Amino acid sequence: MKEFYCSILCVLFLNALNAQDKYITKEGFVSFFSHSIVEDIKADNNQVLSIVDATNGKIAIQLLMRSFMFKKALMQEHFNENYVESYKYPKATFSGEIVNFNEIEAQNSEVEITGTLKLHGKEKEISTMVKVERTLNEIKLSGSFKVDVADFNIKIPSIVANNIAKTIKVSFELHHKPYVQ
Amino acid sequence: MNGKKFKIITLFFLIVVLGLVASVYFYNKPHLDVENTPADYVLTAQNLIEEYQKNEAITNEKYSESIVQVRGKITEISTLKGNGVITINDGSLDSSIICHMLPSQNSRTISLKKGQEIMIKGICAGFLLDVMMVKCTLVE
Repeated sequence: MKEFYCSILCVLFLNALNAQDKYITKEGFVSFFSHSIVEDIKADNNQVLSIVDATNGKIAIQLLMRSFMFKKALMQEHFNENYVESYKYPKATFSGEIVNFNEIEAQNSEVEITGTLKLHGKEKEISTMVKVERTLNEIKLSGSFKVDVADFNIKIPSIVANNIAKTIKVSFELHHKPYVQ
Repeated sequence: MNGKKFKIITLFFLIVVLGLVASVYFYNKPHLDVENTPADYVLTAQNLIEEYQKNEAITNEKYSESIVQVRGKITEISTLKGNGVITINDGSLDSSIICHMLPSQNSRTISLKKGQEIMIKGICAGFLLDVMMVKCTLVE
C-alpha cells in the first residue's frame, strides 16, 4: 500500500515536472501553533516543496518533519522522536485542488482548497479557504486551517497533555514561481 | 529528635530544589551547536545525493540527527527571510543539496560566488526533490 501511494506521488511530481504551466517553490513556509494554559508551542518550516498546475489548479505539497524548527531543543526532540515519529514517517504530504482555479479573476481572491493531508501514516480530508494572488510570474497561496491531533494517531503522554493543544493551527505561505527546466 | 526532623526537612528541600534545577535545565536544553561540533559524516555532494536516490529510507535513518559535512560546487546563492540559502551540486545530477544557513553565516555567505567549491556542514533533514539541510555553517 505504501508503494502504491509513493508511486502515485511520484507520478504526480513527475507529471508536474515535465509539463509547462507548472509553478513550483522549494522554500515554502508552513508553521504550526499550539496554544495551552501551560505554554505556547510554535514551529516553522521554510523548506516546503509545493507544485501547482496552473492549467487545472491541482496542487501537491511535500515537507519534511525534521525541517520544523522549534524554539526549544527539547520540544523539537520530543516532536520528532515521540509524537510524529519522524524516523518512521519523515514526510507530510498534501495533494488536492484549488477549486475553480481558472475562474479566479480578482488579484486577491479567497477560494476553497480541498485535498488529502497525510501525516504520521494517517490521511485526512482537508478543506479550507486560501488567499490566492496570481500574476504572470507568481502564484502566491496563503492561509491557515486547524487539525485535531487525535485524527493523526499522535499519542500525547498524559503528563504533558495540558502542555499541548488538542487542536493545532497550521499556517502556510507558498510563493510559487514558474518551473524552468 | 529536633535535629533529626531538621535534617529530614533540609534533605527534602534539597531534593526539591535539585529536581527543579534539573527540570529547568532539561527544559532549556540548548540546540545542537553545529558550528562547534565536528561532523559525524564527511562526504561529497554527489555521494550524498546518490545515496538518497538509491535508498531514501535507509539513508534517512543513517543521517538523521547527525551532522553531515558535504563538499560541492555552488550552483545558486539566495536569501530567505534574511538568511542565506546555498544550493550545491556537481552538475551531473538532477537533484541538488539545498542548505539553509545559520544567521551567523550571513557575512561569509555574501562573499561566496557561483561555481566556487565549498564545504558545508549542517543537519540533514531528508530528501524531497533535493537533499534538504538545516542549520548549516561554512567549513574552511
